[in-house]
Amino acid sequence: MEKRILFKYIDDPEQVRIDKYISRGGYKAWEKALKQMKPGDVIEEVKKSGVRGRGGAGFPAGLKWSFVPKDSPKPRYLVCNADESEPGTCKDRQLMECDPHGVIEGMAIASYAIGSHLCFIYIRGEFGGPIRSMNKAVKEAYDKKMLGKNIFGSGYDLDLIVHTGGGAYICGEETALLNSLEGERGMSRIRPPFPAIEGLYACPTVVNNVETLACIPHVINNGADWYTAMGTEKSKGTKIFSLSGHVKNPGNYELEMGTPLSYLINDLGGGVIDGHKLKAIIPGGSSTPFLLPEQLETPLDYESIAAAGSMLGSGGVIVIHEKTCIVWVIERLIHFYKHESCGKCTPCREGTGWLEQMISRIEHGQGKPGDLEKIDTICNNILGRTICPLGDAAVMPIQSALKLFREEWQYHIDHGKCLVETECPFR
Amino acid sequence: MSDNGNKITLTIDGRQVTVDRGTTVLEAARSIGIDIPTFCWHPKLKSVGACRMCYVEIEKFRTLAVSCATECLPDMVVHTRSEKVLQGRKAVLEFILLNHPLDCPTCDKGGECDLQDHTFAHGIDDSRFDFPKYRFKRDPKSTFDDYRIGPEIIRNQNRCILCYKCVRANKEIFGEHDLGVFQRGNLAEIDAAPGEKVDSLYSGNLVEICPVGALTNTDFRYKVRVWKTKQVKSICQYCADGCNLTLWARRNRIFRATSRRNDDIDEGWICDRGRYGYQVANAEDRLTTPLVKKGEHHVEVTWDEAIKTIAARFREIKDKKGGVCIGGLAYPGLDSASLYTVSKFFRTILNTNSIDFRYDYKMLPEKAGDVYSEMTAQPFSITGIEKSDLILVLASHLINEHPITHLRVRKAVTKLGSKLYTVNPFATKSGDISTDEIIYRLGTLEALINGVCMALTEQSNEIKTKYADKLKSLIAPSSVEAASKISGVEKERIHNLARAILDAKNVTVIVGEILTGSATRENMASAISNMLLISGIPAKGQVGFLSKYANSMGAQRLGVMPHLPDATVERLKELWDNYPEQPGLAADRILLAGRKEEIDSIFVMGCDPLLLYPDGEFVRESLETLDFLVVADMFESKTTAMADVVLPLAGPAEMSGSFVNIEGRIQTFDKAINPPGQALPGYEIMNRLAAEMKNPLYESDRQLHDEITMLLDMNHKAPAIMDVQEAKYIAEEPGDEYNIALVVTDELHHFGHLTEKTKSLSAFCAESFLEISPALAEKYHAQNGTLLRVESEVGKVILPVRISEHIDNNVAMIYKNFAATPVNVLQMRKRRVDYVRLSRVEEK
Amino acid sequence: MILSDKSIAEIREKMVRYPRRKSAILPALTVAYNQLGHLDEEIYKEISQVIDVPTGEIAEAATFYTMFPKAPTGRYLIQVCHNISCALLGADGLVEYLESKLGIKKGETTPDKIFTLITVECLGSCASAPMMQIGDRYYEFLTKEKVDAILDDLRKKAEDGKADSV
Ligand SMILES: Cc1cc2nc3c(=O)[nH]c(=O)nc-3n(C[C@H](O)[C@H](O)[C@H](O)COP(=O)(O)O)c2cc1C
Ligand code: SF4
Ligand code: FES
Repeated sequence: MEKRILFKYIDDPEQVRIDKYISRGGYKAWEKALKQMKPGDVIEEVKKSGVRGRGGAGFPAGLKWSFVPKDSPKPRYLVCNADESEPGTCKDRQLMECDPHGVIEGMAIASYAIGSHLCFIYIRGEFGGPIRSMNKAVKEAYDKKMLGKNIFGSGYDLDLIVHTGGGAYICGEETALLNSLEGERGMSRIRPPFPAIEGLYACPTVVNNVETLACIPHVINNGADWYTAMGTEKSKGTKIFSLSGHVKNPGNYELEMGTPLSYLINDLGGGVIDGHKLKAIIPGGSSTPFLLPEQLETPLDYESIAAAGSMLGSGGVIVIHEKTCIVWVIERLIHFYKHESCGKCTPCREGTGWLEQMISRIEHGQGKPGDLEKIDTICNNILGRTICPLGDAAVMPIQSALKLFREEWQYHIDHGKCLVETECPFR
Repeated sequence: MSDNGNKITLTIDGRQVTVDRGTTVLEAARSIGIDIPTFCWHPKLKSVGACRMCYVEIEKFRTLAVSCATECLPDMVVHTRSEKVLQGRKAVLEFILLNHPLDCPTCDKGGECDLQDHTFAHGIDDSRFDFPKYRFKRDPKSTFDDYRIGPEIIRNQNRCILCYKCVRANKEIFGEHDLGVFQRGNLAEIDAAPGEKVDSLYSGNLVEICPVGALTNTDFRYKVRVWKTKQVKSICQYCADGCNLTLWARRNRIFRATSRRNDDIDEGWICDRGRYGYQVANAEDRLTTPLVKKGEHHVEVTWDEAIKTIAARFREIKDKKGGVCIGGLAYPGLDSASLYTVSKFFRTILNTNSIDFRYDYKMLPEKAGDVYSEMTAQPFSITGIEKSDLILVLASHLINEHPITHLRVRKAVTKLGSKLYTVNPFATKSGDISTDEIIYRLGTLEALINGVCMALTEQSNEIKTKYADKLKSLIAPSSVEAASKISGVEKERIHNLARAILDAKNVTVIVGEILTGSATRENMASAISNMLLISGIPAKGQVGFLSKYANSMGAQRLGVMPHLPDATVERLKELWDNYPEQPGLAADRILLAGRKEEIDSIFVMGCDPLLLYPDGEFVRESLETLDFLVVADMFESKTTAMADVVLPLAGPAEMSGSFVNIEGRIQTFDKAINPPGQALPGYEIMNRLAAEMKNPLYESDRQLHDEITMLLDMNHKAPAIMDVQEAKYIAEEPGDEYNIALVVTDELHHFGHLTEKTKSLSAFCAESFLEISPALAEKYHAQNGTLLRVESEVGKVILPVRISEHIDNNVAMIYKNFAATPVNVLQMRKRRVDYVRLSRVEEK
Repeated sequence: MILSDKSIAEIREKMVRYPRRKSAILPALTVAYNQLGHLDEEIYKEISQVIDVPTGEIAEAATFYTMFPKAPTGRYLIQVCHNISCALLGADGLVEYLESKLGIKKGETTPDKIFTLITVECLGSCASAPMMQIGDRYYEFLTKEKVDAILDDLRKKAEDGKADSV
């Protein structure tokens, strides 16, 4: 069953208006945090709630906030990561476009918790709609004194800057994002130092995903116990899944953690299109390994998906039917990762290019014996060897596809054509 | 426990090593002689962990770690040569080589290329890459990507391994933005910024730190293979910072100069003057034979004849009128031995003190112990700058005068958080990183400093009670208000500077050339000395009145001045059999005396006063009236043209010797090549001349060396100035007609009169120009390159305009290094500030 | 100046909000792109003057990002997402359809300079595939009929000189 918490009013076009938002209990959590809670209390509550990062890695949000040094004389910053560029993922966009105040309120509370007086939302530049919506909402929030000086008479000041990107997937990676925000090229930084210690302008910084932050007002309003009552033992609450690919009803669906994958794909998504059979599922955005039809009952939570051999990632569930050549799918993906590699570290910069050339020649019928083994070693020379996880992201689906669908690859090399012809017509 | 406070003990390849907290695994390994290959790491740059060549295996780590960016932790167990590590590094090399052209046979980096070396070391021979290599091509028709990004730098992107060291150093160390990385991913390329050239003063370093042949310089390309050269220890012969160089020579020719890193001085960076300046040695037009003027013309003669001619004339003058009628000017960029023998020759053979290295100073003092000379003798330390929380740069175009000291100041400010105040008559590069860039009206420094003194008295009761009354009676102006009015610097900024001085725990004060060159140098030095005295700066830091030339400090210590401190005189009297009693004349007096016919002959060693003395007309008249002019130099010059005898001089690369840098550090250098033709080192010329006239100055090299060392090693610490000095600002207003203040200085890539002989430095700039503000340019409807006539009361020149945002509206900057345009004709030796007027050439 | 007074004012207004000037690079590039539809070296130089950051730094950043064309395009830049979710629902066919309708190949501009067609990576509209972006607007769940209508409408707007209302 859908469990709409963040998405409760997502279909109501009125929700973008601050009056409407407030009339539905909006900014109550912000007021509560400022008036009744110390920053430490907020962090504790969020820690207790078990909210985990929705940007991909699933790191506990409260824990991350608690890493910000309490005694640093430097300013601190909160940055909301709204660069959403992982293929298969489109949930943050809907949150920002349709419920922008929920995001602002989450950012505000998180800023207060870590002692930040200036926070940023880094929205990918292509997102015209969400950018307009956020800008408008931010203006409203300032007008209503939810942002600015002396908010709710608490003496607390907070400014919020909407910063827009220029087209680079890598800027979703938090250190690259910070570089980009500083006006540098969006290249990842080596860690340590971690952003919580030395982030934006070398000051303590917390980077959180849009959805992560949008959870926060609900946790503050209803308490950690309410939140932990949902979900599984280690994956609490709800999560928004973007369902795309070969399904009848694609879209964003908010589900309680632990809901089976089959429920999302079949019950909500209406199953595979054109009466075809399911071939594979990418469960957590294009960077995650494939799941097979027999794994359809896997519960959607961090641990279960990991146990099934993949990752929950950003929750971008991509459905692929039987009339799809897996080499063709992988060619699409490796082209993307090569295009998006920032170019800073050698294995990623050179390796993704080489992989693209190799895979493309196989897809175009020019593969050579030994190519698959070669691809495998190239992948191994990238995996775990790069500055940021983009390198891993590029090779994980490849390695997974090589393992699960080896015969298709081999057929391509042996016969110079697809074992399964791709049928993805435009109608 | 192996974690005791700030020390950490860990195990690398089975060996225990203890290091400071914060040390990287790479540095820890290197400290015990374990070499880990790197590309993107550089000891002076922040680690970025980009190339991934420096992998090590650390027990309990999930993946290979980059040792350049991994800090040591207690009890870490590190393996630097395990199978996994070697596999990892091989994989990195394989990646790097995918699209690398492997054009080693035609690449200048061959023999010193990190990529070549590491590839050999890791036994990579066969490539698994079976696609055509990607080619960056500027010019689609060419098969190469050789493309010039600066006057001296050629870029070949195909060879680049994107370690970003060049771009990082350029920004991090040099503060330049003319080089960047453009595009993304594996299409990223190193290039000059749009519309710019990579032509900063430090550009050659970018080539030097490139680990491959992606950046090469025109200077060295295709000339020689490095393994065929011998490397000779050298010291830069230009400014007084004293960077350590290696000269790469083969068959009596020098092919390049590179840095010989000395962390006390240069930290491995050298400026382009130092890098390319060696080319003076290779220049085609060196003087190679002695010349004697017969009738109108110079005629080649033997050394014997030349020496006899000089000896005869000197003897004649000396016998008739006394040795005091012969004056000597020596270039402070000469080696210590040459400078010393000039002094010894004049004093012991000619029996006169009229000898001076300050051949380009306006108005020199007439006795020893003036405040300015005392200050220049104070010890100064380049590394000491890093200890200061406040750095004060006064009257110094620091990057221009002391490029490497500038870098140390930059480091202190950008990396260590020191505060910097610059106090100059125009904007400078150091000002860009300063807390406050104070710009005073040219010629009003002492007024401003007096203002700072008064601000100090206002802000500190202690200073007030101790000094306020005294100051008021001795200085003018004696209020912050008046100082502000005269200098054009707002009162608050004067107060803020005073506040910063009082708050600082350790201060470095640097005083530069702008002051050195001024006619009221002593007055300004007194004002500064007052400021130092009352604020107690010498006790909490250091003061550097920085000398300009490679061996200015040596010249001063060796006594190449007419008036010497008593201690030096005592020592010389012990050392020599003769010391002249009669006081000598300083450089400007020698020239003046020439005009007055009190001096009949001048011996010039290594300099070109006719081009560089700040009063062209004055020098010309003086030299014209002389009976006998002798000039020893490496090249023909305006001054040699007037000489009766011209002697070919060897340069520093052609001998062994020493220089004394701004810190008083004696640095020796070795001979790289033979002098051209019959050219001789200065000391040998002086010795031959002395032998001919009376007796040799030294019997053996050992004797010469010992005498020099004895003098240089003397304690030269000047007695600290104990009391407040008189320092009165005297207004010198511009006239109505000539009302643009003139600054004559070295062009950024040039130094003195020699560097225009180098091809490389001339590629950066080959002619003098007039630098003015956009507003002033507009007034004369001038664009870059427009010719303007620059006139002072005494002379005029025509120069092309270069518009600069950094210059005040009432200032004109002019560059003096070019024989074709002797701009010193605009200057007058008595003027503290020269003024000019401008006009368009075609309007008359 | 190529940048309009309005753009310059907008850049300045954004710039002052950041703790460091350099952060204004992307906002400035965005403003310039919104005014001009592309970026180039002359624009970097102008931005450099407005925000007082060296031109090189601006060009370094600008060339890193792919969203801003670095040369003028047609009035309408059609960007078709060809990444996986869209590809699964016919993005390649969509490109072919556009190519045949516009009579150009991908990467080209129509002779009347109204349309430029390119493919781009995932635009975060995966659950509404196939899709394309024109200006800052997303056109989703595309079908042939929808594409026909969109192109007709835009062409008409361009011909009526009302192009800026996209
Ligand atoms: C290549 C790459 C792209 C990423 N893109 C995004 C993104 O678009 N949005 C996002 O929130 N996190 C993204 N991340 C994850 C961030 O680095 C970071 O972990 C996250 O923003 C932290 O927020 P969270 O803890 O709330 O998840 C990406 C990571 C990588 C390696
Ligand atoms: S040019 Fe040389 S130093 Fe610079 S990034 Fe490329 S390989 Fe490195
Ligand atoms: S030297 Fe360590 S990553 Fe390059």
